[in-house]
Amino acid sequence: MDEQFERLTKIGDLLNLYGKELILALAILVFGLILARLVIRLVGVTLQRFTAKQTVISTVSNALHLLLIIIIVATALEAAGMHTIIIRRILASITLAAIGLIVLFRPYIPTLPFKVGNTIKTGDLFGKVESTTFLNTRLKTFEGLTVFVPNSKILNDYLINYHFTPTRRIKIDVGIRYDQDILKAKQVLEAIMIEDPRVKTKPRPVVYVLNLADSCVELGGRCWVDNLKYWVTKCDLFEKTKLRFDQKGIIIAFPQRDVHLYHETPGFPEEESLKKISMQPDPPVVEQV
Amino acid sequence: MNISESLKIIDEGWVKKPKGFRVHFQKMVNSEWVTDYAPGEEEDPLDSDVVAWRLAWKLSQAGKPNPSETSEGDIVNIYVVDDSGNPIKWYSTNEFTILNVYET
Repeated sequence: MDEQFERLTKIGDLLNLYGKELILALAILVFGLILARLVIRLVGVTLQRFTAKQTVISTVSNALHLLLIIIIVATALEAAGMHTIIIRRILASITLAAIGLIVLFRPYIPTLPFKVGNTIKTGDLFGKVESTTFLNTRLKTFEGLTVFVPNSKILNDYLINYHFTPTRRIKIDVGIRYDQDILKAKQVLEAIMIEDPRVKTKPRPVVYVLNLADSCVELGGRCWVDNLKYWVTKCDLFEKTKLRFDQKGIIIAFPQRDVHLYHETPGFPEEESLKKISMQPDPPVVEQV
Repeated sequence: MNISESLKIIDEGWVKKPKGFRVHFQKMVNSEWVTDYAPGEEEDPLDSDVVAWRLAWKLSQAGKPNPSETSEGDIVNIYVVDDSGNPIKWYSTNEFTILNVYET
């Protein structure tokens, strides 16, 4: 009991001595941080009028926020009675140590392989990077969803950054029936790709015979377009391919299996049986599966 | 003749690649037929003939004139042109097509 009383007396004495300074320091800290937040928001809004680059805005805002926090903490500590020279020395030491560590270990520090504004695909997510923090990345998918992806997940998964590849190859694979004119189909498909203004002239569009498959001859059209126009161009080319093939009388194949049923009559040898069937008015029944 | 020269001949003589597309139409304004384009000539053309023909078809539906008498806002003689102003074939029929044909 006496010990507790003694402890409380000591705290009371300390508050008598430094109470005003501590409360003042706390007030500076709280109001300073609120003010800093407001200033940063204001700076962000102002910068948006001058530049549309989110990277520039977020970098300037983050740097200013850090600077303000350092000034506020230093002021608060000074108000609490600490000597500023000590604070300055501590801050300088921390800064130097941080810079040194970054310079030394930079190659070994895992960094995100994209910047704000890049279009990326990670896992099954495909969208534009809106912002990044130490913990997560905010991604706006093309379906309009905002997804917060943990950075650890991004670093441990494969990632496609479309920023590094301005053009992309379109595949127009189409199968035609075996009785169709391959050369004519190739010519039509190539013409469809060449005449589209979005398709690049270098590399030139090409058409290959990809495979002689079970039910069709597989043709593969390949052409290059700008990344931004990839999806719409691909859809247009498929639409035109179907319509142009119809116009030119080229029949697109579909998976099918022919089943021939022969009616065997008991008592007849096999050849006789087949002959009998062929003489029937109806052709052999063909079922498409 | 090297390959690049032969490719140049093919590009110029076989399949033309337009730089863009516009929808040509005539619209009744103040009892007169005025020729216009969508997008306008001062704007960038569309880069897809599929989109251009879709726009043309929608215009033809929206501005279909009454066969007996025309009125303000009617849109006639709609077709798609390339960047040089030449009509292009409708990709669905591969024929030169004019929608809402009307003698003006």
